[in-house]
Amino acid sequence: MGNDYRVVIIGGGIVGCAIAYHLTKLGEKSVAVFEKNYLSSGATGRCGGGIRQQWSSLNNVLLAMRSVKHFERFSEEIGMDIEYKQGGYLVLSYTDEEAVEFEKNVKMQREAGLKVEILSPKEVERRYPYINTEGVKMATFCQSDGHANPHLATFGYARASQKLGADIFTHTEVVGLERLCDSRWIVHTTNGSVKADVVINAAGAFSREVGKLAGVDLPTESYRHQIFVTEPLRDFFDPMAISFSGNYYMRQTKHGNFIMGQGDADERAGINYSVTFRFEKELSRKMARIFPFLRKLRIIRHWSGHYNMSPDAQPIIGESPSVRGYYYAVGFSGHGFMLAPAVGEAIAEMILYGKAAHVDVSDLNVQRLEGGVVKEKNVV
Amino acid sequence: MVETDFLVIGGGPAGLSAALEASRRGVKTLVVDEGIEAGGQLLKQTHKFFGHEGFYASVRGFEIAKEILNSLGDNVDILTMTTVTGVYEDVITAYDRNADKMIEIKPRFTLIATGASERFIQFENNDLPGVYGAGAVQTLMNQYGVLPGERVLMIGSGNIGLIVSYQLLQAGAEVKAIVEIADKVGGYEVHANKIKRFGVPIILRHTIKKVVGDQRVEGAIIVEVDDKFDEIPGSEKELAVDTVCIATGLTPSVEIAAMAGVKLQYIPELGGYVPYRDENMRTNIPNLFIAGDVSGIEEATTAMIEGSIAGLVVASECKELDLTEEITSMKKELSEFRSGPFSEKVRSGLKRFSIDYPTHSYKDSVQRQEPPKGKLVPVIECDQAIPCNPCQTSCPTGAITVSGNINSLPEIDYDKCVGCGVCVMKCPGLAIFMIQENAENNTDVVVIPWEFALPEKGEAVIALDKDGEPVCKGEIFKVVKSSNKTHLVYLKVPTGHGRSVRNFARLQREDNRYVCRCEEITEADIEKAIEQGFTDFEELRRYLRLGMGPCGGRTCRLNALSILARKTGKKISELGHGVFRPPAMPIKFESLLKGEKSHGE
Repeated sequence: MGNDYRVVIIGGGIVGCAIAYHLTKLGEKSVAVFEKNYLSSGATGRCGGGIRQQWSSLNNVLLAMRSVKHFERFSEEIGMDIEYKQGGYLVLSYTDEEAVEFEKNVKMQREAGLKVEILSPKEVERRYPYINTEGVKMATFCQSDGHANPHLATFGYARASQKLGADIFTHTEVVGLERLCDSRWIVHTTNGSVKADVVINAAGAFSREVGKLAGVDLPTESYRHQIFVTEPLRDFFDPMAISFSGNYYMRQTKHGNFIMGQGDADERAGINYSVTFRFEKELSRKMARIFPFLRKLRIIRHWSGHYNMSPDAQPIIGESPSVRGYYYAVGFSGHGFMLAPAVGEAIAEMILYGKAAHVDVSDLNVQRLEGGVVKEKNVV
Repeated sequence: MVETDFLVIGGGPAGLSAALEASRRGVKTLVVDEGIEAGGQLLKQTHKFFGHEGFYASVRGFEIAKEILNSLGDNVDILTMTTVTGVYEDVITAYDRNADKMIEIKPRFTLIATGASERFIQFENNDLPGVYGAGAVQTLMNQYGVLPGERVLMIGSGNIGLIVSYQLLQAGAEVKAIVEIADKVGGYEVHANKIKRFGVPIILRHTIKKVVGDQRVEGAIIVEVDDKFDEIPGSEKELAVDTVCIATGLTPSVEIAAMAGVKLQYIPELGGYVPYRDENMRTNIPNLFIAGDVSGIEEATTAMIEGSIAGLVVASECKELDLTEEITSMKKELSEFRSGPFSEKVRSGLKRFSIDYPTHSYKDSVQRQEPPKGKLVPVIECDQAIPCNPCQTSCPTGAITVSGNINSLPEIDYDKCVGCGVCVMKCPGLAIFMIQENAENNTDVVVIPWEFALPEKGEAVIALDKDGEPVCKGEIFKVVKSSNKTHLVYLKVPTGHGRSVRNFARLQREDNRYVCRCEEITEADIEKAIEQGFTDFEELRRYLRLGMGPCGGRTCRLNALSILARKTGKKISELGHGVFRPPAMPIKFESLLKGEKSHGE
């Protein structure tokens, strides 16, 4: 471990590793990542792996579109195949009210330059005869949405940033942050202390606790989400199928497994890695009805992770207005994996150039939450 | 209309050499070449050239092209991706593929250096994808980095067939066999030895009868031939290959020369129809010259000398210079190169144009002196008189002599040799090894010139003899990297084997020793991932999908942990056992649906 870094990143998930990669790529070699467990051990390695641009807030749409640009050239640029597939996102709506919202969203998304189709239930059936469209009012579809393997993406960013000079320390928890009179930081970890000019909180589910280390109160809360995966079938199911009103999402991995989940409104805030059988029963009943081909398929693994929720379900990105030199990229509210490439780039640019150059993230700092919130609705 | 002093058609070794000599002396020169970059066949050649250092001996072909191109001055223009399409009464025309337009050229002097084309042979299904000419294989593999196939049958054991086979091995393909219709290897013995010691058989008196396959090559049937090259029925053998590479010789590309009115003569020794030319490379048409393979199939060094002669003659006439001395010295050079036994065909062919080359005397007796025991010294396994002498010129202590003629066999003075290994790195034929018998503790040392992925110091290997047969176990104890990419690998073998060991095989890690049977992850996969830095068990699992199958890691967890412990030197207890997730056995959706209803449902 060196004892002096320009930038220290707390969290070895996709966000922390993407920031490390973009910093080193832009020439800042003095970068350390501290991960208390192993790379991708938190929400990243537990997520569904979807990469979606169809959001209800323009900020999320723009960030996601920029991320897709990065995902499209990931394997070429990083040198790792992350099983990226642009099979599209099929967003199914089951209520008239939501259908109206979707029409509005699609208009906004199209204005942002995204190619989105509106599909009738019949068209959904024609394209995906293996989906039972009973109760479906309409659907939207964006072909350039897709999915990838979150573990591999994290490892890819980590390895690439290491090659470019970053140090990554796993099983090293940051336990204290101390401000020196020259406004530098001392970062105390379970394996010793280092100095840093800039500290970045990319701690995912633990963002609030890591904020407190610097005296920064971040309005985030973590909620458990469960997910399970089946044995593999031959790869035939191209899109990520998702529904907010139907409360589910499902995709097939490159390997052939079906991976799926739903939200639980009764979940209480806090860290909880256990899983419930109730979830397994509820989700399998629902999914076997909508995707009848699943009936004979077997579930092989069931786990949980956390959404680090912000009040408006949009990420909180930027430098703390009260504690300079302390940045955060937190509160991703269940869609950190898909936004990480663009956010990593934006944070790196902010630190090195004072301002994000590719996507405007100035609206995404905490100040936006002071005058009430407009919530992102497209979340499972 | 482009006017120029000197038009060179074809920017290969002959054309570029001519352009270099002429332009140096003030002749405005235009080189027209079909390729994406100039250099001709040189660009595909990854082997070191024979000859002497004045003509780039020990330099790899593609590097020679770079060197010549870099030394061309302002007097030379090169048009690439441009093909000369005709020699008309009024102008010479060329088609520029970049600009999609025709160019008219009016030169004072012209050199046709269009090289050669490959001879194709007839056999059943020779139109199936997977049947390649050797030139195409070289272009794909050496220029564009694309391996045309994995299991290759090579047809023809001339130098091209031998060299391309070696390059295929370097690229990771398996060369199943080389078949040769004649009763002896056509190319240099040193080239043949390079592939024999990897166990590639050269099957003499055989040819290809047919290719098996529906949509592409799936196999090949070879057959023995009699003295008249007729197939002997019942001698067929089938080889499982996906690629057939044809290297059965070249024929001069005479189209442009013929259009220009140059007399052609059929001279089989020179490869077929050959344009007439004199000793100065001048044809029967005024101010029109030829050089290189178009003037008779030979090799790149003599092509460069012929090109140089043509360039000098053009310069002397165009600029009215007296270059007699330079021209004479080049001709002497050519005469010496062509004095060896491998040039016999060319010599007899050129006699038909009344160009006579004497056979110089060269020493062709092989040194029989025993190398001294206990001292590390080279053994030179170069038994054919070929025009080549870098062993002599590179030796820093003057211990190696190629006396008189460049075709002579080398001789070594063991007293002067200090065992530095420079000759081993330099030898274009990779025919020099070093051995030290009775080095210490009952071992012999063998030093092998190595142009493959480097082994590691301390690696245990299987020592092979000159035919690629296993001889004994060996251990790599030193690896010397060389900037010319012929590295030296020092091998220890039990005493008595030093004289026979000429190669080694790396121990194959079995690739079907499964650790995780659900996800088909092998021991080698796991070891490789650990070597890549995935030393955290959970990261390793996620990277490889280890334990992510139906059994949930029941079979593989402990075995994978053992491998991780072995590779990292940690105890299993320090590594952590990873997580266990429900369900403990795969459960069907249906079974879940039939179970108890949840509360409230």
